[in-house]
Amino acid sequence: MISRNSKSFSLSCRVNGSELEREIPSSRSLLDFIREDLGLKGTKEGCGEGECGACMVLVDGLAVNSCLMMAVQLQGKELVTIEGIKGKDGGLHSLQKTFLAEGAVQCGFCTPGLIIASEALLRRKPDATLEDIKLELTGNLCRCTGYEKVLSAVEKARRK
Amino acid sequence: MPEIIVKPASLKELWKTLPALGKARRYLAGGTDIVTADNAGAESSECWVDISDLPELGAIKETARALFIGSGVKISAIENSAPARRWCPALIAAIPHFASPSLRNMATLGGNAANGSPCADGVCALVAEGAFVHLAHNGKKRCLPLKDLFLGPKRTALEKDELITAFEVPKTKHFGAYLKLGPRAYFGISKAAVAVSLEMSGKTVKRASIALGSVAPVPFYAVKTSAWLAGKPLSSEVVLAAAALVMTEVSPITDSRSEADYRREMCGVLLERALKSVCR
Repeated sequence: MISRNSKSFSLSCRVNGSELEREIPSSRSLLDFIREDLGLKGTKEGCGEGECGACMVLVDGLAVNSCLMMAVQLQGKELVTIEGIKGKDGGLHSLQKTFLAEGAVQCGFCTPGLIIASEALLRRKPDATLEDIKLELTGNLCRCTGYEKVLSAVEKARRK
Repeated sequence: MPEIIVKPASLKELWKTLPALGKARRYLAGGTDIVTADNAGAESSECWVDISDLPELGAIKETARALFIGSGVKISAIENSAPARRWCPALIAAIPHFASPSLRNMATLGGNAANGSPCADGVCALVAEGAFVHLAHNGKKRCLPLKDLFLGPKRTALEKDELITAFEVPKTKHFGAYLKLGPRAYFGISKAAVAVSLEMSGKTVKRASIALGSVAPVPFYAVKTSAWLAGKPLSSEVVLAAAALVMTEVSPITDSRSEADYRREMCGVLLERALKSVCR
């Protein structure tokens, strides 16, 4: 699977629906791989310690903090970043529409992470309660909105 | 970041790979502690060995007498496991208090234990469950009570390259509770936490096992209070006396998260509430 003691790693995974094979430095963080190697800048670096959720992506359908994951841990798995979150028609996803309609986006830095976390919840639990939504978003910090508009955006997306 | 991360495909390959590395090395499981430390400049190993996808560590297995939780099983997968829900009620009660949902999709009990922190929620609950920890180093295997794995803050009995493979929880019918006092309701590091496992015979305690987090140098097994409760009826007087006793057993310190006296007091309060929740 790896060439021993080699500093590079042959990564094979799926990214936003497409197969990807790439030689990477074995000590690449998943966040750097996404932003620097793949050029997908929608995923943000906030705190770098798993507190803020700005770096969240889906790996095999589960929300994870890409700042605390290494790219080698993506081997054989499926990555979805905010760029891979789309509506059925290829346009905006229902969560993106309700975030805009509810005014849940101000500076926007936390928004990709919030959409990813909300999407993970709604995939798992389409009838999530307000309490479920609050608990799911405990790992996402937003310094602008005060959260109320975010919560109502997720509630509205749930009903669509 | 380390210079290199290697990713063996199996335990067999892991043991074959390690000697060839010849460098200061650490295991990488969920990454939520080690990568945080690295990002903060507090981790300096040259090599990490990624064990996060080792199939031998990733399953929950049941035998007639015990439940075996692989050290690499994600915390969120434990929460969804029917056998874990049945046999580990204190651990299941701790999971909502374990970091955040996304970190629970990454973190493992093996990492939680190997990190050796006195505030580890999963470990504290498992100590109360009377868990054993299984360790392996190449052909050598050993098993010890989980409470004996911890020697001090961030210090464990793990030898160089020794790997935590599984946690064994005896299958006994018991009540479990986990109460945590943190800076907020969820997603905070505890000021104090109490895990309780109780085997009851009617209204009498048959066996009690109490563990506390963040109030001693290690995830703390309250040996005196646990022994004292055995054979007693769970009356309000007994609950209050147990709460008073546990306060004499813990050895909290004052640090950035809380103060020693407050922590000691809260151990009593949390134990009282946990025992009362079982009475109900």
